[in-house]
Amino acid sequence: MDERRQRFERLVLPHLDAAHNLARWLSRASVDAEDIVQEAMLRAYRAFDGFRGEDAKPWLLAIVRNCHFTAADKKKRHRSEPLPDQGATELPAGGPDPEGIAIGAAEMRRLNEAIATLPTEFREVLILREMEDMSYREIAAATSAPIGTIMSRLARARALLRQNYLGKESA
Amino acid sequence: MACEQALQVQAYVDGELDAFGAAALEKHLESCAECTSLRNDLETLKSNIRGAASYYRANPVLEQRVRTTLGLSGQSARRGRNRRPFWLGAASGALAAALAASLVAALWLPSAQQIAPDVVSAHVRSLMDDRLVDIPSSNHHVVRPWFAGRADISPPADDFAKEGFALAGGRIDYVHGERAAVLVYRHGAHIVNVFVWRDDGAARAGENTLNGYHLIAWKKGNLFFCAVSDMAEAELGQLTKLIREKSSD
Repeated sequence: MDERRQRFERLVLPHLDAAHNLARWLSRASVDAEDIVQEAMLRAYRAFDGFRGEDAKPWLLAIVRNCHFTAADKKKRHRSEPLPDQGATELPAGGPDPEGIAIGAAEMRRLNEAIATLPTEFREVLILREMEDMSYREIAAATSAPIGTIMSRLARARALLRQNYLGKESA
Repeated sequence: MACEQALQVQAYVDGELDAFGAAALEKHLESCAECTSLRNDLETLKSNIRGAASYYRANPVLEQRVRTTLGLSGQSARRGRNRRPFWLGAASGALAAALAASLVAALWLPSAQQIAPDVVSAHVRSLMDDRLVDIPSSNHHVVRPWFAGRADISPPADDFAKEGFALAGGRIDYVHGERAAVLVYRHGAHIVNVFVWRDDGAARAGENTLNGYHLIAWKKGNLFFCAVSDMAEAELGQLTKLIREKSSD
């Protein structure tokens, strides 16, 4: 394998799960998420010569995001596709005993639905912050938005969850 | 949110404030009920999302397809993301207790017993050596960064003084052939050492008692925790529950 491929494999491929998770939460449909990831990895590979640095995660996730929005636009224009399976949830593979899943499943579903119904621009910053553990700066890099915007979107996302999921007064 | 500090509270919960900013915000929290309530809710949301929301990993078929398309090697060297199991972080109250009980039963395997003697002797050594803490502080914005530079992990280091378990500080120790980050808590006259390693998959969660010392071990993310103390099992359970559920990740 040549050096470029090796570098791509070392720097980019470890973020495949993050790419898929973001695509899945953005598109809210598992089939779409796989298409988005495949397209994004291809684009990332083509653009890889222009990538500098060691942390490819924000860079890759920016590409995933673009692929999602391109696909969503196309879909909107055609209007023939079914609506995304909003709110549908899949239990992650593995996990504890079946009984434990049964107890936790209702709670998981409620939380997943609360996140899935957030407006996209709020949902994505929340996913990047809480699931990918990215800093404001990294999220800003991935979404091409200023840090101040990231902070206010994150605050809006959380205010909505506080209201809809925790059942607290609107912030 | 009426209080103009709301975004600062969020930045605090997200670990985006420096030590100075965090101290100022903590001072503000003392006098602002609104921000305190916001902080509590943000922390609840954080731990629930990290613990209970779905994380959609790429399946191996997709990975293989990507590898084939790009002409990469067929071998997956990708390390699995350590998915925090939902029953550790999120669940609260009775649900958590029920899940924790089944979890302990399910994961209790002999290998946790193997590290027990080493952990207990490290605990005893720490009490005798007069080298309990290398960094005496109850501020997680001090303790946590201190670890980051010395161990290759940065475990959550939260003070639970309000709940009766004051964070005394942190220490680096060498246990079971590995460098561990150690969180030190005081509960009355009792000392609790919480050893934290990067989880290599070998050690298992569980509980044990050795020479009168109780041990509780669990995993979170890619970290493996083992708490040890001479205090009652129930009290140690209380602290480990706090660390599992209330830590500022």
